[in-house]
Amino acid sequence: MQLKGLQGGLYRPLSPEQIETIHDAALTILEQTGMGYENGLEATVEMLEDHGAEVDHKSRRIKFPRHIIEQAIVKAPSQVILCGRQPEHDLDLREDKVHLGTGGAAIKIIDLETKELRATTLEDLYEVSRVVDQLANIHFLVRPCIPTDLKKEDYDINMFYACLKATQKHVMSGVNDEEGLRRVIDLAAMIAGGKDKLAERPFISFITSIAISPLKLCTQSTLIMQEANRNRIPVAISSAPMAGSTSPVTMAGTLAQLHAEELAGIAICQLTTPGAPVLYGGIPGLVNLASMGYAGGPVEFGMMNAAAHQLADHINIPNYNSAGLADSKEPDAQAAWEKSLTLILAAMAGSNYIHHSAGMLESMLTIAHEQFVMDDEIIGNCCRVLKGIEVDAEHLALEVIESVGPGGNYMSSPHTMAHMRREYFQGNGVTNRKSRDRWEKDGGLDAREKAREIAKKLIANRETAYIDPDTDRAIRDKYTIHLKEEK
Amino acid sequence: MTTFNKISQAIVDSDPGQAISLVETAMGNDTPAVDILNKGLLAGMEIVGEKMESEEMFIPEVLMSANAMSQCVDVLKPHLSEEDTGQTKKVVIGTVQGDLHDIGKNLVSMLMESAGMEIYDLGVDVPPDAFVEKISEIKPEIVGISALLTTTMPAMQQTVEAISEAGLREQVKIMVGGAPVTQGFCDEIGADVFAPDANAAAKMAKAL
Ligand code: B12
Repeated sequence: MQLKGLQGGLYRPLSPEQIETIHDAALTILEQTGMGYENGLEATVEMLEDHGAEVDHKSRRIKFPRHIIEQAIVKAPSQVILCGRQPEHDLDLREDKVHLGTGGAAIKIIDLETKELRATTLEDLYEVSRVVDQLANIHFLVRPCIPTDLKKEDYDINMFYACLKATQKHVMSGVNDEEGLRRVIDLAAMIAGGKDKLAERPFISFITSIAISPLKLCTQSTLIMQEANRNRIPVAISSAPMAGSTSPVTMAGTLAQLHAEELAGIAICQLTTPGAPVLYGGIPGLVNLASMGYAGGPVEFGMMNAAAHQLADHINIPNYNSAGLADSKEPDAQAAWEKSLTLILAAMAGSNYIHHSAGMLESMLTIAHEQFVMDDEIIGNCCRVLKGIEVDAEHLALEVIESVGPGGNYMSSPHTMAHMRREYFQGNGVTNRKSRDRWEKDGGLDAREKAREIAKKLIANRETAYIDPDTDRAIRDKYTIHLKEEK
Repeated sequence: MTTFNKISQAIVDSDPGQAISLVETAMGNDTPAVDILNKGLLAGMEIVGEKMESEEMFIPEVLMSANAMSQCVDVLKPHLSEEDTGQTKKVVIGTVQGDLHDIGKNLVSMLMESAGMEIYDLGVDVPPDAFVEKISEIKPEIVGISALLTTTMPAMQQTVEAISEAGLREQVKIMVGGAPVTQGFCDEIGADVFAPDANAAAKMAKAL
């Protein structure tokens, strides 16, 4: 069952009038309040000024008259294709087409053998990426964890290397600085067989968290974003306010501020390089009001991220958002409902690129192998919903009903044979529907234990080297690669 | 309900208007300022602390209670001796170089402030030298350092080293915190105290 790129648009929390109201409010915010900036962004600010933005250099505030934003955003492409290494893994981001994958930069992992919590390593990154590569319903890989065993200088190149070696799905990540970006583009070009080939089929892309909510540009991320624009590598322009601490506590207020931050970011990209491929990266979040800690599990998180897709769709730009990042600390029942609810809402909305949707726990701080397996199952189910119910002569099956007649059964009918595997979602084996008797005989494993078993099997499968040996040698000659060579 | 209980209740209810008017009435009745402070206001904040711990109260309510408390203290101040209020601790706090996360650090600052400490907030992306300079200038009892990224944890260590190199290490207690920071890391870099959240941080700072 092909479950990638299905059409959403089934859940629309905002009415057309509400979308207009929020869009208009965002333009007002940019016009009246504007965006703050800091040292190091002078060239960008000058560019904006040249295009008519009003800049107060003393208070470091950029105000955007409406027409600047309106003229800039229409230059952004309404379709972005993020490639896999093979065309079957390409992601066609446009309209209400839905894709889901991993996300985050977790720093802790629940060890697959001991179940103890420990810091994530480069080896973990490679291993969970291999698991993701083999899970059919996870459509792309956003680097899910940080190699905390490396020096900061070695992060960027080694993260991308480990991901690109482990999977042929599209790989996306943030980088620490512009130098890191250049090195990663070089690495990818070596794998692609040249910079042109990479530009033709960009199988990597970048996340740049340009907004420090409320309404401030992050210097480093903005510079990285513009460098990616100039290289025509797609970027997700991330802005992730938290309702109650870095944006208004109300959902509408959070969406308006988020939309303003996104509009400013998109305008900067399009003024830097008209037509640069970008994703509207608004991730409206909230807080646990009792601690101000990040909250990604509430149902409102799903509602707001669904709304973020509508806002992106309103300006005709594909979007990147989040769902499935539970606040639960363990792969337990709470994690399951947090993930299921937020994922189904974001998917039914038609979100184009939903990241954080597999593996995450503890508000983005922790991952677990078994969680990737369980989330693959949840994602698959969500996508099945998008596929809908087919109603045509073949599916109505009037002839079959007639031939079976009253009192018969359909178990051995050819129609059943023909449709059974396509009509219903077939999972990865983690869902158990056996009789209690059989289940007990099979060890009586609960979902988490079953998922651990599946993860172990996937890891034990033979490694596929997605970087050929010659390229691998050339990369290792040029860069300090910490991942061990073929075992 | 006694006057003190009523004042405590106004603090717990995050109601500055009510709290101030009760304090003023009590002063008009010649109630000693130090009793209003201890049996009314501080007793109220004690309850607020408990309700925060049990997640009964939300942070914005806690901050409003703290604000009510500090407005009342301003009213009482002319009538309080240094002995009554105790010596105010000074805290220099900031997020380490290269790190822009400040929500947690700000919350720690606000709760320390509401616990009666004087806060010098250096903001985010603070180089080790800037910590050293401010410590030399202010001579605080406590230095708070925040880091939210594994990539900026080394900067936390460098900050502690810079403080030592400047010969200021003995004069201050160094508190560290932030999502990736642990007790183990705190020990490893030679800081004094690790606190997992803002409430604990304020309590520990008070106890130092
Ligand atoms: C909000 C947020 C942001 C906001 C920050 C807004 C702001 N004004 O602070 C923005 C969007 C700007 C941001 C940017 C980035 N972020 Co960020 N961010 C977060 C997030 C979601 C929540 C942090 C937060 O505010 N928590 C709420 C507060 C109340 O909690 P807290 O900070 O932990 O503080 C409490 C305690 O730790 C303690 N404490 C904190 N400081 C101190 C100090 C002292 C002295 C004491 C005693 C105690 C103490 O008390 C506090 C209150 O209880 C975390 C994930 C998470 N769950 O933590 C990621 C996270 C920290 N970010 C992460 C990343 C990767 C980044 C970026 C690099 C983005 C990127 N490329 O994608 C940039 C880096 C920018 C920079 N140079 O700093 C990663 C870190 C991975 C790593 N390497 O360590 C995390 C873990 C998310 C993830 N898994 O992807 N981020």
